[in-house]
Amino acid sequence: MIDAVSILSILALVLGLVLGYAAIRYRVEGNPLVDQIDAILPQTQCGQCDFPGCRPYAEAIASGEAEINQCPPGGQDGVDALAELLDVETLLLNAEHGETKPKRIAVVDEQVCIGCTLCIQACPVDAFVGSSKVMTQVIAAECTGCDLCLPVCPVDCIDMVEVKPTLNTFVPNVGELASV
Amino acid sequence: MRDKVMGTNQVMRQVIYALVLGVAAQVVFFGFSVLVQIALAIVTALSAEALVLRMRGIQITPSLCDGSAVLTAVLLAIAIPSIAPWWIIVLGVLFAIVFGKQLFGGLGNNPFNPAMLGYAFLLVSYPLQMTQWPSEFQGVLSIFELSAVDALTGATNLDYTKTQLMLGESIGALTFENISQMWINLGFLVGGIYLLLRRIVFWHIPLSLVLGLVLMSGVLYLIDPSSYSSPAFHLINGATMLAAFFIATDPVSASTTPLGRLIYGFSIGVIIIVIRVFGGYPDAVAFAVLLMNITVPLIDYYTQPKVFGK
Amino acid sequence: MSKFTFKGGLVLENPFPAKEIDLIRIPLPDKVVLPMQQRIGEQAKPCVSVGEHVLTGQVIATIDDDRCAPVHASISGTVVAIDNQVMAHQSGLKALCVTIESDGEDEWIDNSVACTENYDFCTPDTIYNKIRLSGIVGMGGAGFPTHTKVQFAEGCHTLIVNATECEPGIMCDDALMQAYPTKVIRGVEVLLHICGAEKAIIAIEDDKKESIKLLKKFCKNERITIEAIPTKYTSGAEKILVKSLLGIEIPSGGYASDVGVLCQNVGTLVAIFDAVVENRPLISRVVTVTGSAIKEPKNLQVRLGASYDYVLGFADIDPGENDIRMAGMMMGVDLKGTDYSISKNTNCIFVNKPIEKAAAQECIRCGMCNTVCPMELLPQQLYWYSKSSNIEKALDYNLLDCIECGCCSHVCPSNIPLVDYYQFAKALNRQQTKEKVQTDNARERFEFREFRLERNKQERAEMMEAKKKALKEKMAKDKVQKEAIAAAQERVNAAKTAKELEDAR
Repeated sequence: MIDAVSILSILALVLGLVLGYAAIRYRVEGNPLVDQIDAILPQTQCGQCDFPGCRPYAEAIASGEAEINQCPPGGQDGVDALAELLDVETLLLNAEHGETKPKRIAVVDEQVCIGCTLCIQACPVDAFVGSSKVMTQVIAAECTGCDLCLPVCPVDCIDMVEVKPTLNTFVPNVGELASV
Repeated sequence: MRDKVMGTNQVMRQVIYALVLGVAAQVVFFGFSVLVQIALAIVTALSAEALVLRMRGIQITPSLCDGSAVLTAVLLAIAIPSIAPWWIIVLGVLFAIVFGKQLFGGLGNNPFNPAMLGYAFLLVSYPLQMTQWPSEFQGVLSIFELSAVDALTGATNLDYTKTQLMLGESIGALTFENISQMWINLGFLVGGIYLLLRRIVFWHIPLSLVLGLVLMSGVLYLIDPSSYSSPAFHLINGATMLAAFFIATDPVSASTTPLGRLIYGFSIGVIIIVIRVFGGYPDAVAFAVLLMNITVPLIDYYTQPKVFGK
Repeated sequence: MSKFTFKGGLVLENPFPAKEIDLIRIPLPDKVVLPMQQRIGEQAKPCVSVGEHVLTGQVIATIDDDRCAPVHASISGTVVAIDNQVMAHQSGLKALCVTIESDGEDEWIDNSVACTENYDFCTPDTIYNKIRLSGIVGMGGAGFPTHTKVQFAEGCHTLIVNATECEPGIMCDDALMQAYPTKVIRGVEVLLHICGAEKAIIAIEDDKKESIKLLKKFCKNERITIEAIPTKYTSGAEKILVKSLLGIEIPSGGYASDVGVLCQNVGTLVAIFDAVVENRPLISRVVTVTGSAIKEPKNLQVRLGASYDYVLGFADIDPGENDIRMAGMMMGVDLKGTDYSISKNTNCIFVNKPIEKAAAQECIRCGMCNTVCPMELLPQQLYWYSKSSNIEKALDYNLLDCIECGCCSHVCPSNIPLVDYYQFAKALNRQQTKEKVQTDNARERFEFREFRLERNKQERAEMMEAKKKALKEKMAKDKVQKEAIAAAQERVNAAKTAKELEDAR
């Protein structure tokens, strides 16, 4: 009886030590969950999810405060990707937060712009350049198409223009190819 | 030489043509029951395929005409004993087409050789019916269970050898009067060579399969000729040639890289001998092929050829 | 005969052989439409305006970077439009074009500069600039600016002239060589002079016997050799050609310049000769018109920008609906209608009687494609992953090494348009890579903005704190001062009072 107990105890002790050592020695520096979620989010920073940007939303998802279906720019594909990452049932994109739109960028009507700089303050990615009382412009490559500059413009001089494919960016439709 | 292009249905048709000699040999030895089995199999296969395609909402005609279902049916029909009752082949083909092929997504998506999956299913479920081969020319009646089967059936050479060895006999003492197997294998060999010449199958799998089979049986034969059959015996008995040229070469479930094909074929040859000699079943093509089917993704991944410029 | 060879490839017959390979110069078109985009790279910028009169050879579009080539007017006349026109591209997208209406005069602008016949006396730089300003791009089909390619190949040891013309049906290079064998040789000499290579090899497929004979006859330069290579399709692909001539394998992802080789199409060399020696920028090219709906295939010397309809008017076409295909039967693109114009890389137009395309079936993994792939890839695996948009896996199977030669599609028993899938996967990869860069950029900028706002807030808080402190200190100081003043006042007052008292006393 005592033999058995002592053998098992020693065994447990030794194995526990081995496991403990392995846990330290072979520790995998995992990508924290928030970073992994943030990597899936489209980084539009539009706030349609009711959080002030993609990272805050990622933090909210990670802590269970938000659902995974609140990101319209990410689309249904984004929701599915989040569901797969978090190993949960996927959800339909919540229409309350808006609908998925094609990629667009902001264009300022130079004739109308009064240089109020409100858009500069509203832009989450600093894609506007300009200063007080001079015409403001958008850096096309930086604009995420978040629409946040639209409501703040007092003269409605900002248009969201859809990005059309060019010969260099055209992606043929694979669906047309599959006849089976 | 100019490169010619052959369509998938033509490929399938050519393979079926290549089977003609072997089937003819079967007819000579086992009677027209072989043809009845084939007809039953084809009808079952086409109906099953059409039904499943309809259920999947896919256009029926193009897929039905690609000839793959017919080929599966024919292969399974000539693999089973010609005197097996009608429901054996019907069940086997149903299993092969529905479970082996369509449930995986149809032609091109099945990881296992459908005909061999059907065969394995039958062998495991109905061992009695699946191991009774006709010993002599027999009529069609047995298929429909209209004549007394027991009196007419005999064992194949492989089966006979196994039983006799278990009874303590040595190979040298056995005599084989059954030459049907040899002629059938020769028939399939000629058909297989036709396929090689038409460049419908690549040489890798047949050659390496035969090599694996000969090497493995040769080693055993050298160790103890009295308890292990010779390589020549293994070559002309059982479904060896059918396996080498028609079954293992099914492109969908086989390896696709040149080196992979060699490994795949060789391993099947070795496994056939291992199961024939040490296993519980007299022949082993189905299990050997299915086992190697499982390993195909792995083989393909590790045998990628060197790419230009890398 | 070259001692090296390559794996894969296909031996293909010319489906529509011509009885005679003549170069036919066709009359000037009434109107030309000149695209600003040349297959890959940036667009050229138009430098003329609508209504302006231009002369033949006049620059109508300039370049800001070396990824594109300038465009010249191919006829003299009036610019009538600068707008978006449908391009001869699988997408059917529109791109910027300049339209010129002919005045029928074909009046040339004077482009002549110092070096002409005696290019030997010009510095390579002068000639290089001349090529650069003449708008020359690769005439074989890719349309890559020649000057950029020459620049990349600085310090190369061998110049390979690609006269293989391996795509069955296309005969424009053959016709060009038979018409201007001396121009080809002279062009090679010019390029040898500027690129610094020791030797040049002109590679021709051995079925073009007449061209080989003519070039050999006119080639007197011992630095130039003419090499007949076996007729096997994809022999003309740059990487394959370098391997079959020199036995050198260009590393994956690399270019010929990485192994010290400059590869140029034979048509490009004639264009270089025209530009350097005859002062004519690139304004015309040879186009093969062939196909099952054409009685006799023809090679036409055409001004750039001429419409397909105009060019096809010089060929004997069966009436009725026909299918149009630009470039070769293997690598070309099917087009809808004929509303396109000849561009710098239009080497061939196929006019085919409509045939029903066999429907694609499932891949049966037969491996025929493996055996014909000249890049030694596994096309069926690429297809599997491209079809499911699994770009990561497709890249793993070396998607980017695919040269889209179409051998795999050609032999596929299931008629799968494999190359279309690879093009899709490559385009998707480009898009995803670009998006990844953009998202990362947006994330970084957002995070920096958050940081900046936070920093501003903190700075403001600190500033407030400092101000408050300063105020307090000032107040304290003031107080001390006030007290001192008050004390002084007090003292003065006291003194005053004392004095008054004294006075009163």
